[in-house]
Amino acid sequence: MAQASFPTREEVDFVIVGSGAAGGIMARELSTAGFSVVVLEQGPHLQPGDFRHDEWSYTQNEELVWGSRKGHPQTFRRYEHEKAELVDGAPLGYAHNVGGSSVHFSGNFWRLHPIDFNEASVRGTIAGTNFADWPITYDELEPYYTKVDWEIGVSGLAGPWDPPRSRDYPCPPMPVKSAGVLLERAGKAMGYTPFPAPVAILSKPFNGRPACVHCGFCNGFGCEVAAKSSTAVTMIPQALATGNCELRTGCTVARVNTNENGRASEVVYWEEDGTEQAQKAKAVVLCANGAETPRLLFLSASAQFPDGLANSSGMVGKNLMFNGSSNAAGLFPEEINGHKSIATTRVIHDFYSIDPKHGFYGGGGIDSRSLTRGLPMASAMRGGTFSGLSWGSEFKRGLAQEFTHTASFNGHCTTLPLSTNNVTLDPEVKDKWGRPALRTTFMNHPDDIATMKFFLDISMEMLDAVGAIKKVGSYARDGQTGGVHLLGTCRMGNDPATSVVDRYNRSHDVPNLFMVDGGSMVTSGRGQPTMTIMALAFRAADHIIQAAGRNEI
Amino acid sequence: MNDIQLSRRAFLRQTGIAARNSLIVLSLPAIMSSSAAASEAMLENSAFKILGSEEAREFAAIAARIIPTDETPGATEAGVIYFIDNVLGTSRPEALEPMRAGLASLQASAQSTYGSASFSALTPEQQDALLVSIEETEFFGTMRYMTIAGMFSLPEYGGNRDYAGWKLIGFEHKHVWSPPFGFYDADYMARGE
Repeated sequence: MAQASFPTREEVDFVIVGSGAAGGIMARELSTAGFSVVVLEQGPHLQPGDFRHDEWSYTQNEELVWGSRKGHPQTFRRYEHEKAELVDGAPLGYAHNVGGSSVHFSGNFWRLHPIDFNEASVRGTIAGTNFADWPITYDELEPYYTKVDWEIGVSGLAGPWDPPRSRDYPCPPMPVKSAGVLLERAGKAMGYTPFPAPVAILSKPFNGRPACVHCGFCNGFGCEVAAKSSTAVTMIPQALATGNCELRTGCTVARVNTNENGRASEVVYWEEDGTEQAQKAKAVVLCANGAETPRLLFLSASAQFPDGLANSSGMVGKNLMFNGSSNAAGLFPEEINGHKSIATTRVIHDFYSIDPKHGFYGGGGIDSRSLTRGLPMASAMRGGTFSGLSWGSEFKRGLAQEFTHTASFNGHCTTLPLSTNNVTLDPEVKDKWGRPALRTTFMNHPDDIATMKFFLDISMEMLDAVGAIKKVGSYARDGQTGGVHLLGTCRMGNDPATSVVDRYNRSHDVPNLFMVDGGSMVTSGRGQPTMTIMALAFRAADHIIQAAGRNEI
Repeated sequence: MNDIQLSRRAFLRQTGIAARNSLIVLSLPAIMSSSAAASEAMLENSAFKILGSEEAREFAAIAARIIPTDETPGATEAGVIYFIDNVLGTSRPEALEPMRAGLASLQASAQSTYGSASFSALTPEQQDALLVSIEETEFFGTMRYMTIAGMFSLPEYGGNRDYAGWKLIGFEHKHVWSPPFGFYDADYMARGE
């Protein structure tokens, strides 16, 4: 069936803002259920054939992830008393295209574990933070994790390392890479339980899409054979095929308007040429990610909602979390060739919860990677990892050695939710549309930093255990300055006084407004949040469809 | 293990390109001198879009110290200066004036230190000494950024000619790979781990 086309002045059932990990799923689920849906996406609709192995363009010229060069500046500061400075690039990184960041992500698909949902009860709250239980349990979300596995396409191996699952993975694990072998051998030598990384990349043909060809341009690039399970090649085509969904690309949302009853009534946006439009809708679903969704709520402030739409709790934009990380790079005597195939093939989760006797809160996992994503330019830009040099003949010789012979063991870990870490509107800097720029205020809790160091230390020991000739480690000892996992800024909860959306992603304040993206997450998980964002989207869609059927939206 | 030995061994062992690399190493002096001469000729004859030929020669000389020509091709053979000229006219126009100002300052240092305002005319040792003295400046950072970008980007942007940058580090531009990808996963399969 042809893509639907709706007049802006006639009310559609749903307007969805954003077509990424969550938006793509909402579009597919709601249109399949028979509702009329308009999806607004600020970027283009790229096809697999559009993607190129062009490091200059993708990593240096904001091909997918827009920042100042594309008219979308962002500012950053550590603390709220400081003036935020304009930053080159995008401290809050996300792709601007149909499929959102699921197009250029590395596809690591960790589920959360049961402990992630009730850790504050089990571990105890932490003074000075907003560390809290989720309003839902792992068991409630599990059917939707399984739905993601099978609807989106995930490769992996079920086993004791996994949280409980009701069904096996649809695709077997991806072939192990050399860095994965080293992580597995090191992990086993140290008594840990390494396991094949679950990834949203097809190891065999599935649902009409081909298997990965191991081209190596995965993280930061789009998949040219559609083997990476982005919503652009899974959910969006299915949504459009229903005939109930219209995808409008190049459309930047200005605000959500509300009527006299305090209900969302229309979404105002600009087309690429600057023409202003307003789409009327019975309900609005914001899937614009943990940065853009709170920004849009602030931009939608009105006399009725002076602190921003859906912000009676004051929690919109607050509790910004990334995932912590550490990087231990080892030089090995034989070839690793990290530039081939996917980002990571082995993981250990033996330190999912760090023993409290260490004196700080945290947990995470370690996976095997290539340094600087196996990218030639990035590898050289970084400077000689082991030579410590940045130019000249010795620097050059070092590069020739380390590009093919380096493996990296990367920690991915918790960060705590703090009110003082947040997304707000910059009072001075504007974007190309004249909207206040995204302003990030962020400084890690000391436990985040201790956790990153913990994972670096283990990773360095693992490099020794498996015979690295040289090793270099790093983590954000002075705090992170940005991230790509944009979490917590519209947190989910049962209490309207302390959360933005309810347990089904519905705004506590505006009954026909839903926020579905990483912002819903109450805690950060240990890393790789997209799997959870997608599961939450499937779950929210189920409940929205049921509520609409009962005329309760 | 000695790093340089490792490097050379690694260089020779690149799967699939060992023969080509060996050839380069064995016939290095001839290739080096001919490609250097060819690069010199290119510099003389090519019309730059943004840069004047005089300043292009100077920027190219700086790039040639950042990634020198030694036992393998460097920024000169990769045509990094053409990448720089290209992006100054496309995605990096804002870099042009700071680069010109930085060059003028570097030339002033060359004049006062060595009695010649031409950086490119200095010996490599003199050039390196001057560059070490400006290593922390934004100008040097820009030149390093431009040189590396030009060395390792797609050749369609003007640099990385004959894939000189990619060959240097053992990167092959292919769209399809199949396992084994490296030594350790081949070994893992062979052992049935």
